[in-house]
Formats: sequence, C-alpha cells, structure tokens
Amino acid sequence: MPRRRSDIRTVLKFGIVALAVLAVAPFFLDIYVVNILIRALLLAALALTVDLLWGYTGILTFGQSAFFGIGAYACALVFTHWGFGAQWALLALFLGIVAACAVAALAGWLAFYHGASPLYGSIVTLALPIIVTQVIFAGGRTTGSSSGLSGFPTYYWSSETWFWIAGVFLVVITGLAWLFVRSDMGRVLVAIRENETRCAYLGIPVSRIKILLLVIAGTIGAIAGFGYAAFTNVVAPELGGFLLGTELLIWVALGGRGTLIGPVIGAILIDVTSSYLSGSLPFYWKLLIGVLFVAVIVALPQGLLPEVTRLWRRLIGRRTRMADAPTLEPITAQEVGRGTGQPLVVRGVHRHFGSLQVLQGIDFEANRGELLSLVGPNGAGKTTLIRCLADGYERSGGTITIFGRNLGKWGPDRCVALGIGRKFQAANIFATLSVAECLRVARYRLDPPSIWASGTTLRLPEAALRIVEETGLAQSLNTEARHLAHGQKQALELAMVLALEPSIVLLDEPTAGLTRVERERIGAILTSLTERERLSILLVEHDLDFVREISSRVIVLHQGQIVLDGSVEEVVGSELVRNIYAGASLDAGSGPT
Amino acid sequence: MNDPGATLAISGLTSGYGEAIVIRGISLTVGAGEIVALLGKNGMGKSTLLRTVMGFLPAREGNVVIDGIDVTRDAPHRIARRSIAYTPQEQAIFQDLTVGDNLRLGQVESRWFAEELARICDVFPFLGERLEQRAGTLSGGEQKMLLIARALMARPRLMLVDEISEGLQPSIIERLARVLVAERERTGVAVLLVEQNVRFALEVADRWSVLKLGEIDDEGGSDMPNAASRIADHLSV
Amino acid sequence: MGVLFLDIVTTAAILFTVASGLMIILGVMKLINFAHGAFLAIGGYAAFVTTQLGWNPWMAIPFAAVVGFVLGLVIERVIVRPLYARPLDAILATWGLGIVIGQVITIVFGREVQFVQSPLSGAIEFLGQSYSTYRLALVAIGAILALALIALLYFTRFGLNARAVIMNEDLARGLGIDSTRVRLTTFGLGAALASMAGALITPLISVDPNLGLPWLINSFMLVLVSGVSIPGLIVASLILGGAQVLVSSYVSAILGGLTIVVLAAVILRIRPQGLFSG
Repeated sequence: MPRRRSDIRTVLKFGIVALAVLAVAPFFLDIYVVNILIRALLLAALALTVDLLWGYTGILTFGQSAFFGIGAYACALVFTHWGFGAQWALLALFLGIVAACAVAALAGWLAFYHGASPLYGSIVTLALPIIVTQVIFAGGRTTGSSSGLSGFPTYYWSSETWFWIAGVFLVVITGLAWLFVRSDMGRVLVAIRENETRCAYLGIPVSRIKILLLVIAGTIGAIAGFGYAAFTNVVAPELGGFLLGTELLIWVALGGRGTLIGPVIGAILIDVTSSYLSGSLPFYWKLLIGVLFVAVIVALPQGLLPEVTRLWRRLIGRRTRMADAPTLEPITAQEVGRGTGQPLVVRGVHRHFGSLQVLQGIDFEANRGELLSLVGPNGAGKTTLIRCLADGYERSGGTITIFGRNLGKWGPDRCVALGIGRKFQAANIFATLSVAECLRVARYRLDPPSIWASGTTLRLPEAALRIVEETGLAQSLNTEARHLAHGQKQALELAMVLALEPSIVLLDEPTAGLTRVERERIGAILTSLTERERLSILLVEHDLDFVREISSRVIVLHQGQIVLDGSVEEVVGSELVRNIYAGASLDAGSGPT
Repeated sequence: MNDPGATLAISGLTSGYGEAIVIRGISLTVGAGEIVALLGKNGMGKSTLLRTVMGFLPAREGNVVIDGIDVTRDAPHRIARRSIAYTPQEQAIFQDLTVGDNLRLGQVESRWFAEELARICDVFPFLGERLEQRAGTLSGGEQKMLLIARALMARPRLMLVDEISEGLQPSIIERLARVLVAERERTGVAVLLVEQNVRFALEVADRWSVLKLGEIDDEGGSDMPNAASRIADHLSV
Repeated sequence: MGVLFLDIVTTAAILFTVASGLMIILGVMKLINFAHGAFLAIGGYAAFVTTQLGWNPWMAIPFAAVVGFVLGLVIERVIVRPLYARPLDAILATWGLGIVIGQVITIVFGREVQFVQSPLSGAIEFLGQSYSTYRLALVAIGAILALALIALLYFTRFGLNARAVIMNEDLARGLGIDSTRVRLTTFGLGAALASMAGALITPLISVDPNLGLPWLINSFMLVLVSGVSIPGLIVASLILGGAQVLVSSYVSAILGGLTIVVLAAVILRIRPQGLFSG
C-alpha cells in the first residue's frame, strides 16, 4: 500500500522538534518542575489512549486509569517481593502488559458484544477502576492496601534521565498514534464513532476492532504506569482509581477530543498547574477546572485546541491544507458470494415482536438480473423483511438461502460476506468523513486498510465508480459527507453499498426526498445494474410510478403477508391491489398468492 | 387568496426532513365548520404536512395561521393548546396507559373531564366500560375510536386527522364518519382529514385536494359528479 | 440470622432512598445525572447546617429538599437543557458540575469531616434483636417515599404527563403537554430527592465534601438494573444490597464494596434492559 509521504514527514518534523525541546528542557527548568513534568508526560500518554477510545472511536471510557494502576503495581509488586534488577524490571513490565491485555480483552468482550448500547460499554469501563482499587485494598500486606507500596528498590537515575525516558516515550507514542489515526484504519475508527450500524452493514467487525483497540490502549497505559512506579518509587490505589479515570476525561475534553495533540497538551498543562497550585490555591484551582470543563462540554464540545487553531489560522491567514484525493482505480467486481443456483430463496420467514405478527409465511425467490419491488401500505412489513434479509438475528423463523448457502443466525457482517448489500432509507453515511474516506471504509473487507498510512489509490468496482462519476461525487472526493446535497448523500451510500461488490442489493426507499431529476437518474442506475451487472435488486418503494417504470417483478405485501407476486402488468391490473391502496377492507390472507 | 377568517390557513408551506424537501409550497385553507380531505398515495407528504402544521417540523418557507394567529414557529404544545386535536397515524395512543388515562390526556388540564367523558361514552359506549383497561389491548378498530374520542375530549376548534380509516372494516369507517359529521354539526369544528380512502373522504368532506410529490396536484368540491373517479386516477398504481 | 435480615432490609431501604432521585431523572429525562453524588453532599451539609443552627434534627429533611429543588431548577435551566441531544456529554457535564459543587462546599465548609445530630439515637428491641432505631426508621421512611413516588406518578396529573412524556414525547407534546416544563420539574424533584437522601444518610456516616461518590456509582448501577421502575428499584435494592451485606459478612468487607458494581455489570450483560422492563 503506498503511503502518503506528507504525514510521515510531518511526524518526523514535529517529533524531532519535540525531542530537541525535551533534550534541552531540563537544563532550563527548575528541578521541581522537571519532576512534576515526568509524571505529567506519563499521564499525557494515558490521556492519549482515552482520546483514541473516546475522541476517535466514541467509547466513553472511565477506566483507563485501571491499566495505569495495573502497570504501576506490577512494577511495585515485583520489585518489593521478588527482586530488583534488569531481568526483574523486564519481567515486571511484561507481567504488567499481560495483565492489562487480559483485563482489557475481558472487559472488551463483556462490553462490546453485538447490539450492546454505548452506555453499557461505559458501565464496564466504570467498573474497572473500582474493581482494581478494591482488589488492591483487599491485598493486605502484599499490595499495601490503602497506603500502597513505597521504598522498594528502583533505578535511582537522575531526574533528567527519567524526564528523557518519559519524554521519548510520549513522543514516540504520539507519533505512532498520529500516523494511526490518519491512516485508513484510523478513518475506520471515526466511521465506527459516526455510525456503528452502517459499519456493521458494511461487513466491518466492529466488536473485534473495539476490543483490539482497548487492548492496545491498555498496553500503553500499563507501560506508562510501570514507568511512573519505577520513577516515583511510590504506588497507591488512587493510581488505578475512578477519580484519575475521570480526570483523564476532563483533560481530553478540555484539550479537544479527537485531536490527539489537544489531550496531550491538556494533560501536561493541567497536571503541572495542579501540582503547582496544590499548595497555594488548591480548591479554587479545582473549582476553575470544574467550571471550565462544564462550560466546554456545554458550549464547545470539540474542546479548546480546535478553537485555538482556528484563531491561529485566522491570525496568520492560512487555510486548512487539504490532503490530495486518492485516484480512483476501476476494478471488475468479483461479486461476493456469487455461486450457482438462485441468488436468493426465502422460505417461511416470519417475524414477531411479542404477540404482534409483523411478517408471516414469506416465501419468494429472487433471480439474477431482476429488479424486484416490494410494495404495500404503511405497516405492511416491507422494511422488516429487508431487515430480516440483511441481519440473520432479525427473523423469528424460516430460512434464507443465498446461492445455496444458509444465512443462519449471523449478524450483518456475515450477510455482507454472503453477498448482500443494504442501503438504508435515510442516507446513512459517515458525516465527518470525506467522500473518498466513506468509500474506502466500505472497501474494508475487500481491501483491508493500512494501519499506518493512507492509500493514494482507491479501488472501486465499475458500478460504484459509475455512480461516483455520474453524480458528480468524483469532483467532491475531499468534501466531508455531511456537506453533500441530499441527493448526493443517497448516491454516496449506494456507491458504498456497491463497493462491497454484492450479488444482491437491498434498497429501502432510495428515492425518498429526491427531486424528479434525481429519481430518474437513480432509476437509470438501478436498471443498468440489473441489465449490465446482472445483480438482483430488492427495492422497497412508496412511489408506485417509480416502481412501475423500473421493476421487472413486483411483490405486494399486506399485513405481513405476500398477497401478490407477479409482473408489473399483473399488479397494475389487480383489483386486489387497488383495494389495498384505496383503503377498503381486506380480509387478511384471502388474497391469491 | 387566504380567507382571514379561516380556522386553518396554510400558505406556501415548504418543509422536510434534514435536507430532503418533502412538501413544496403548499397552500390550503379549512374554514370554520368545514371538513377538507387531503388525499394522496404513501410518501407524498401528507403526514409531513400535518407534522409541520403542528410544529414538529420547522417550516422552511411559508406560514401556518390558526384563527388569524400566525403559529408557524410555535412549539407543538402551544399549538395543541389552541384547541387543536391532532391524531397521528402511527403510535397515536399510549399503548401502556389505560383507556381512561388516554382520554384524560385529551385535555390539557382535565378541566371538563367528567362532562366530556360522559358525552364520549354516549358516542362510544364500549369506552365507558373499559376505562381501566390497557389501551394496547384494544383491537385496531377500537384503538382508532379511542383516538377520535381522545381528540373530541379536547373540545377542539380544529382536528387534524391522519389516515384514521387505514386498515379498518367498512362498518367502523362508517361509524367514524358519522361521528365526525355529527361533531361538526354540533360544535362547528373544522377538520383536515388526511386520507387514502376515497369513499370515506368524499362521504365526510366538503372539499378535497390531492397531494403528489409534495405539491397539490388537483382540488375540488365533494359534490363534483366525477370527484371519485378523478381522485382515483391520481391514486391509481 | 436476625441481625443479618435486618441489615439486608435496612441496607436495601437506604440504597432505594439514595437511588430514587437518580432514577426519576433517568426515567423521565433519559439523562444520567452524575451530579447525583454532589446533591447527596448538599443534603449532608444541609443537615450539618441544621445541627449548627440548633434546629430540630428532623428539619434537616425538608430543608435539604428545598435547597436541592431550587438548585436543581437552576442547574437544569443553565447546564442540562442544552445537552438533551447528547446523552454521553450530559454524563460528563453533570460530573463536572459535581466537581464544582464539591469545591464550593469545600471552600465554604472546609475539607474536614463533620458530624450531624441524628434525629433518633440508640437502639430498640426488634425481632428479638437490639437494633439501631435510626436504621429501622429509615426503612419506614423508604417505604413512605416509595408510596409517595407511586402516588405522584400514578395519581396526579403531573405524573400522568410525566409518564406520557416517557412513553412518547412527541405524542405528549402534540396533546399540549409542555415537555420542557415536565423535565425542569423532574430535575428539580430528582435533585430534591437526592439532597433529602443525603440528609437522611448523614447520621449514619460522617459528612465530607466527597461523601456522595461511592453512593453515586452504586445508585447508578441499581437504577440501571431496576429497569427504571419503582418496584424494580425496590427489588434491585433488596437483591444487590442483600448480596453486598452477605459478601461483607461472610467473605470480606472490602469485596463487599465491589458486589453491587460487579453483579450489576453481569446482570446488565444478560438483561440489558434491567430486571423489570418489558
């Protein structure tokens, strides 16, 4: 994967400057400040992990302090009880990392299951530091209980040395994180934050990514904690506590969530000032931070750094530099899941919510190159049927086979792997990603994203590329998706779905809210998809004129059942359908099927 | 062109969801004591129009005047308190509340609860017997009758009724039609009836309009001899 | 056995009382009020002021409720209202608010631990046991509180409006209910309940600016496990409070402090909607 050179250069440039500053700083600073800064630099690395989780991925975590505590206690326990020396230090670091990874993996498995609410994830992270501190309390002599451990042997290097160690650690972590969040994989994290559902329906294993990210964040936290314990020679339960966890959130929020640098600066500035003022103005300082925090959350949710940079840009009159858009590269779609036999066979599918039957006894097939429309009055079960086809968990019973393979009880990512692409009713895209980034996220399964670079080319199957070019999206590849016009958003989502190279495309009211011209264009695209690419398209649509123009077959749903399955002419000529739409009563199930 | 004395006067109203425009420049009036039917297929913007009138959706352009007062930017509860009864099409009753509580919510402060309840129970006797029953356990038709009953509890000057006939048997539709007409005779309430059922709409309404892709496509009086077939043409598949 | 039983019942009553304010706010406003702990502290200091002024110790309860209510109204208007659309940010903002309140209390009253006068002292014979009179009184108070909340929600027009807003806010607004006002009143009420609970628990614990913190987390867990309903909260308090008492008595007092959090996380994984929902 080619990399975008400017990012690496930026990181190197700023990294060297930062290291140079670090190298000389101890000679200009008071020894007291240097000591405070060592702690602040380590905590800044911890704040950075909070930003990765919360700012970028949208996981509000109270629990990063727990990993810091684990790392710190691994050091203190090994040095106190087992021994001191290079091999013991390495062992302690290793144990700390292993313990942190295990805890993170367990917490992630618990918190990020399919369908978990974001709040539940926060609850688990909230429980983490409470458990860690209580375990330390329960450790009695071994862990030093509430007073912690101190006076264990450690490397009594000079403050300058520790300062350089902590500084290099922070610079390296920040540089790597910077490359990571700006890489294609980093954009996937933002996509998860913006729209987790859309991600799942693009076949992205959201839970696995979140767990992995928590494990990485836990590792960094444990290393920082280890460094802290080795430097200060003192550990206390508060290091792994809930209050430190919330303080991290405050630093990140004030600095600017989702900016990496903001949280790092925020952590260093606030922690150093706190240490300074803890003697003279302890309560007023904390009060000020509290007021500032509330004000920022209410009024400036993006934090202070974006405001500062905006002001700076205005002062020096420079515009944001746009990265180059990737070049689009056409490829021939492989059509995921394509096999022999019928693309889609639905047998006896039903769905109920409690005692309410929303779908019953649904039987039908879809063929290659067919545009099959699902019509019916409100509440007929059309959208429910689409859901059952795109997520194996949705249906209450019945079987769905795709090219002879059973859908079973699997989530949306499995449906994507079988060749199903779903477009939602309202344009369902990633608001803060650019058009190119949205499309690249959609390619996650087929072109796995790089974790440290951003690709210079974007491979798209011809059908997706055609939409991107015909609707003018090709000229707006760098535009953030939220700034697109409504019709372009719809087109972008359709292009994202086609980027999955599906064999079967599910469309829920793709023309809602579009102008007549846009409708016609979408209609022409859909027709060409069935005729040229021979895809099977299932279309839910209210606009019956549109249905009549483009469908090759129509299924009429009424009160959760298929009442008619036939050609456009048959449906148009049907007395039954006219009655359903004119609102006359219809004895459920009496219609011909 | 708007009649200043109209109970509801909509002019040039444009609105939608997000960036999608659903209704475009709609003008429509309902006079005091008048019943106007708004017909159109699914997805043509009928419900959006009612939601905009009620203040749930902001109007992009145009305005809504009720009894001579511009309410375009008012909050829904303020509009409702002008004795406007709005019956949405979906999730229109509180399924988990009792029938009695649903009726009580028809009035903002339960001021004339007892009197109105007595009258409603004359109109729909089954409601009086089931005041303690959970509304969600009523049948579909009974729920629609509860919905109209709740609207009448408000002693409304204007009713905005969204597809009340959907999925109902002809006998119940007939019953609802009689109630609406009788209420208009009795209190002079104005009604804007959003419908797909042409027969029901023409039976009750004095005038009709057809909404297509967010614009009024055709309109006329219910006494026009060819009204039914003209509307049916617009609604056909 | 008798003491254990009484410990469980009184612990559950205390947990219920402390969590009720958080639950009312979450139920009606869908908002997690992380300033709940700070409101408990406000109630504790209201009781402290009552003691300092030499008032009857029972006066602490209404006094705390009034202070909490007024503060709640102001805070809803200034801080909470802009955050309805951002529930996770609301957690953070109310947490920040808790810090502010804690610091103001520290500046006014100092950091030291204070004690308040208990309205009831000593022990009485109950079920063949000599047991703290005040803890037993808290069971009665908790029961009265539960009944009062049920009466408010189910037998008043405010309660009907609030339930309508919970079930379907748009529909409620379309019927003329001012949901903004319902929210304002609810936040005031939730703050008043929390503050009152703070005054009620302080005779059992000492008063300091951070007294609310451990209670906040436990209340939060209880409310989620309850499925946000009054009977649910009673049962959740009994189950989780009971487990806490048992673990503290038989295993270790320190692990007892973990019981509610761990058990709640497990229960919510199995039943995300809580025990008593749906």
